[in-house]
Order: sequence, then structure tokens, then C-alpha cells
Amino acid sequence: MKRLAGAVLRLLRVASLVLLAVLGTMALLRFAPGYFSDSRELDAQHASIVREQLQSQQQREGSFASTATAQLRSWMHGDLGRSRQFDAPVSSLLRDRIHTTTRLLAGGILAGWLIALLFALPLSLRRGSSGEIMIALPVALLLAVPAGAMATACLLANCGGPMLVLAAVIAVRDFKMVYSLLRQISAAPQLLYARAQGFTTARIIRAHLLPSLPGELLALAMTSFVLALSAIVPIEVVFDVPGLGQLAWNAAMNRDLPVLLAVTLLLAVSIGVAAIFADSADSRTEREPACA
Amino acid sequence: MRLIAASILLLLTLTASVVMLGVPYHYAQQDRDNINAGATHQHWTGTDDLGRDRTVRLAGALLLGLIGAAAASALAGSLAVSAGMGAAFAPVWLGRIILYLSDVALTLPWLFLLMMVRSALPLNLAPIHSATLTFLLLGLLGWPAFVRANHARARTLRTAGWLVHGRAAGLHPLQLARQLLPHLAPLLLTQFLIYIPVCIVAEANLGTMGLGISEPLPSWGSMLLALQNSALSANTHWIYLPIALLVFVLLLLEMLLVEVKS
Repeated sequence: MKRLAGAVLRLLRVASLVLLAVLGTMALLRFAPGYFSDSRELDAQHASIVREQLQSQQQREGSFASTATAQLRSWMHGDLGRSRQFDAPVSSLLRDRIHTTTRLLAGGILAGWLIALLFALPLSLRRGSSGEIMIALPVALLLAVPAGAMATACLLANCGGPMLVLAAVIAVRDFKMVYSLLRQISAAPQLLYARAQGFTTARIIRAHLLPSLPGELLALAMTSFVLALSAIVPIEVVFDVPGLGQLAWNAAMNRDLPVLLAVTLLLAVSIGVAAIFADSADSRTEREPACA
Repeated sequence: MRLIAASILLLLTLTASVVMLGVPYHYAQQDRDNINAGATHQHWTGTDDLGRDRTVRLAGALLLGLIGAAAASALAGSLAVSAGMGAAFAPVWLGRIILYLSDVALTLPWLFLLMMVRSALPLNLAPIHSATLTFLLLGLLGWPAFVRANHARARTLRTAGWLVHGRAAGLHPLQLARQLLPHLAPLLLTQFLIYIPVCIVAEANLGTMGLGISEPLPSWGSMLLALQNSALSANTHWIYLPIALLVFVLLLLEMLLVEVKS
């Protein structure tokens, strides 16, 4: 019964997150001073026609509440609207790009985590802070490079692709968290005892460190996911990857509200689902504490 | 270490100010005979793809980035401390709502949110207004990350003897808040320093996508975008100077932060 109540609470939380994200986006865009403007206005040939169109759209749309209700109602019927920029159904635009972004996200996050773990595991087992000192400069250097700048540098140097940049962005941020987590675990008395008993590093990692990690790592994976969603926009734009990030950027540049709202909805749902996984993993870890 | 980083940052800022005031070029002035040029006596670090002096533009970007990021960080910190204190001292239900809203805002990929809001601004926005609005948005969107920390600190202070005594003596909430702020100062300083590089990175990322500060105002983002567009046609390595200086400044800010954290 308690578990069911917990599941319902989590679902409600996700639903409220999605609703707030969508309503927030609508309100932000609808009340932004440039909402009723279009890039075609800059073209002297079409400016007057476009202005007339925008004026009639402004009169047609009515209040924010009626616009939001109409939008939510059409989503309930599975209609995501029509893109103003591409003059195509938004659902088909999303369908075409979702695979590219999912592949890039999955590959980038996985590679990032592997790199972070590969560096963090052996360094955390070193005595003293020598490991920390060794890695401090490269980590600080990579942390200081914005995702867009890293992508630009890779593109100009003709080395690495979008997945490598995403992996680097994730790895360097996750390394710090995984490293401090592992340092905490490796300072536990049972591990000191295991070392004193002459256990090999590989065995300590396999038998003691890794079993204590899944719960925390899943919670951290949620953070990586949100981070990756932010980083993917400049990466896709710079590398010209036809994914959701590039679509959102195009929509933002061209004030394509239906596309922007649909991408927000998709992001909010995916973050909500990831949060459910992270929460359930966390509660499972609390119920079944990792054996020392 | 912190002192060295702070001194170098101060030196860079002073040099940038001197360059902006002393060099006889305006950041928007074009020298069409020297496009994408390397270092010369005329232009110490060369020119960009429109023939504008790179030294002046770099100095402008550095100053604008630091001042704008500091202002955005101060705004985000003020909002966070207000929300955190509000959540700690308000009725429980209101506190929960504030914390829930900050959690919701935290879960959204904020670069995406920033990109959307920035894109909805008018097309004919003056460059200085685009800079003000970009940093204003960064300040307005940055508060949720710090609410929890402020709330936790304010909650511990809520039960402090001197505060209970002050409340019992009938002090006005504003008077109490004035007494509380010095206790939150170390936390506020850390948050302020944490958020400055975040703002600089966000502005650079927005600029890379063409949604940052409008031309001809120099900014890290617009310089990165120019690098992307002109790197293949340029014959000089000076075009990489903006990216190198940006990383250097961010490293210095990170060094400041490490010391404060420790």
C-alpha cells in the first residue's frame, strides 16, 4: 500500500512537472515582447504583409488562458500542431529527429560515464591526495571550456565528433562527483581492513566498491541526463547534427512556437521519467543497504 | 593561490580598461584593408573577419562578460536568499511550494529555457539592450540552484537564541532579516563566485548559437561565433586568442572558487 502511494506520488510529481514546464514555456513566450514579430519583417518586400498577418494572429489568439486551453486540448488528441517554419506536422518533425538525438545522448552519456569511472576508480584508491593533484589541472581546464567552444575547437581541429564532445562534457563533470563518492566509500573501515588483509585492488573494486554504487550512480545519471540535454543544443548546432537540439534552435531562431512547445513537452516528460527511475533506485537502495 | 588568481584577474580587468580607453580604435570600427590579419604594429593581436581590432574587442568582451556575469550572479544570489529565507520563515505550506517550484525549475535544462526566452525578444533590439537582457535572464533563471542551501542555512538560524530573543522582543521581520544577512554572507559569497563562471559559459554557449549579445558589441559568444565562421578562411593563429583567453579567465575564476570552497 505504501509502495503504491509512493508510485502515485511520483507520477503526480512528473505530471505537475510537465504541466508547469509547458505552462511556463507558454507564458514566457506569449508575454515576451517579441512574440508577435517575425524574421520575415526584416525583408522590406514582405514586411507589410507579414505585419498584417501578425496583427490578425494577435487578434485571433485572445487571452493566454484560452490559448493554453486550446493547446492542451489539441495535445490530448495527439495533435502537436503544425510548424510555422517548415509548414509540416510537428509530430513528423520530431519523429525524424528523435532517433539521432537519442543515439547521440545514449552514446555520449555512456562514454562520459565510462571515462569518468575509468579515471575515478583507480585514482580514488590511491592513498593521500596524489590522485586528486594529478587530475586537477586537466579537469579544471576541461571544466572551463564551454560545450559550444569545445565543439567549435573540435570542428576546426578536425578531430572528434559530437559524441566525443558530449562525452567529454559529461565525463569531466561526473568525474568530480564519482571521485568524491568513491573516496568516501573507499575510506570505509571494511575496505581498510580488506587492504590490510592484502586483497588486490581489482578484487576490492569488484567485491566492495562496485556493489555499493548503483543507487548513487543512478541518481547521478539523472543529473548527467539533464546536463546532456543542455549541452546537446550547442553541440548539434555546431556539428550540424539533424537532431532535436538543432530543431529547437531553428525553432527558437524562427519563433516557431508549436515546435518549441512540443520539444519542451518531450524534454519535460523524459526528465520526469528519468526522475522516476532515479527515485525508485534511490528508495530501493534505502530498503536494501549495500553489503559491506 | 586565491590571491594570485584574484591579482591576475584584476590585472586583466585593468589592462582591458586601459585598452578600451587608450587604443585609438572603436570596437566596431572596421579596417577593410586588413581583414583577418595577424599581429601588426597597428593591430597588436590582428583583426577579425570585418577588419575590427581584435585587442579592443577582446578587452570589451572581457569587461562586458565579467561585469554582466557579476551583476547576474548578484541578482540570482539575491533572489535565492529571498526565496530561501522566505521558505524557512514562511508558513510550512508556502515554504514547501517555494522549494517545490525551485526543484521544478532545477530539473529543466536551463540553457534550453534561456535559448527560448532569448529568442522571443524583439528582432530590432539594440546591442546594449540585448546584453542587458541576456544577463538579466541569466540572473532571473539562476536562483533555483541556490535556494536549498540558503533555506538550510536559514532554518538553522531560525532556532538561534538571539533570533528567538529578537522575535520575542517584537523586532520587525525586516529588522530581523538585516540581522540575518551577515550570517548568510559566507554562503552568499560562495554562490556569487560559483555563478559568475556559469554565466560566462552560458553567454558563450548562447553566442555560439547566434542567440547571445547582438553585434557589434563584443562578447565571448559573438567572438566564438566569428571564430566558427572565419577560422577556415583565416591564415593566422591569432583568431584562436578569444577561446584561449576565455578558458584562462574561467580557470582563474575556478581557482578563486576552489579556495573559497576549501
